[in-house]
Amino acid sequence: MTCRELIAILDDYLDGTLPDQLRADLEDHLANCVPCRAYLVTYRKTREIGTTAARVEMPDEMRARLRRFLRDKLRGS
Amino acid sequence: MSSDDHTLLARAASGDGEALDALMSRYASRIYRLAYGITRSSADAEEVVQDVFLQVVQKGTGFEGRAALGSWIYRITTNVSLNKRRGKRRDLETSLEELLPRYRADGHREGDRAFLVSDWSGTPERELLAGESRRILEEAIDRLPDHYRAVLVLKDVEELSNDEVAQIVGDTVAAVKTRLHRARMALRELLTQRLGARA
Repeated sequence: MTCRELIAILDDYLDGTLPDQLRADLEDHLANCVPCRAYLVTYRKTREIGTTAARVEMPDEMRARLRRFLRDKLRGS
Repeated sequence: MSSDDHTLLARAASGDGEALDALMSRYASRIYRLAYGITRSSADAEEVVQDVFLQVVQKGTGFEGRAALGSWIYRITTNVSLNKRRGKRRDLETSLEELLPRYRADGHREGDRAFLVSDWSGTPERELLAGESRRILEEAIDRLPDHYRAVLVLKDVEELSNDEVAQIVGDTVAAVKTRLHRARMALRELLTQRLGARA
């Protein structure tokens, strides 16, 4: 397996959806390739922090404005 | 759509405040997260939420699709958000090609060895999500194309399946997976460029 082939299936590896043989090939490559090990752990961390950063909450004042807006609109329609 | 959702929509459309509150508590946060994820602007996201809710309440009772109400709402939110972004902030977006790994003819990665082995993953998450690191992360997310951010939010934050995401954005599962992978690779590259030197 080359670095290109490994990186192409990284999501499937991290999601645990790779067939056994492919996973074994990937792990063999990882055992011998420092750049791919670095790529894997930073890619995984990117997924994690990207998800956390995107978990924004709607501000309470905005929720209150939305409620007023919808009630006004629906009352008028 | 379930009969419960249908009833709730009909009641909300006729001005029932309780039904409206129930719909808001089910869907407002989800709509806002997706709208903000795509537009990257709180003000734009607020307008999207208002627009989507109005559409959902006013047209929802006539919606006879087989899809769940949630999926339908995500689809409307994605479309309204992408429309709102049309023509905006393109200057910030980067060509993703520049941020994807480069390879030698033998399939191994090309580039400076120190960069290739750079590993900032040991930095605690709370540190990465605060201060200068957080700013770097937000800038990196800003630089992704809108439709890449849409699939990232739907998949990673809303935790939908690839099938569901594909239906919402009107693309194939393979295209969604490719987009996710390219978005994550681009983000990783941008973060490594900025954080790698500090690790």
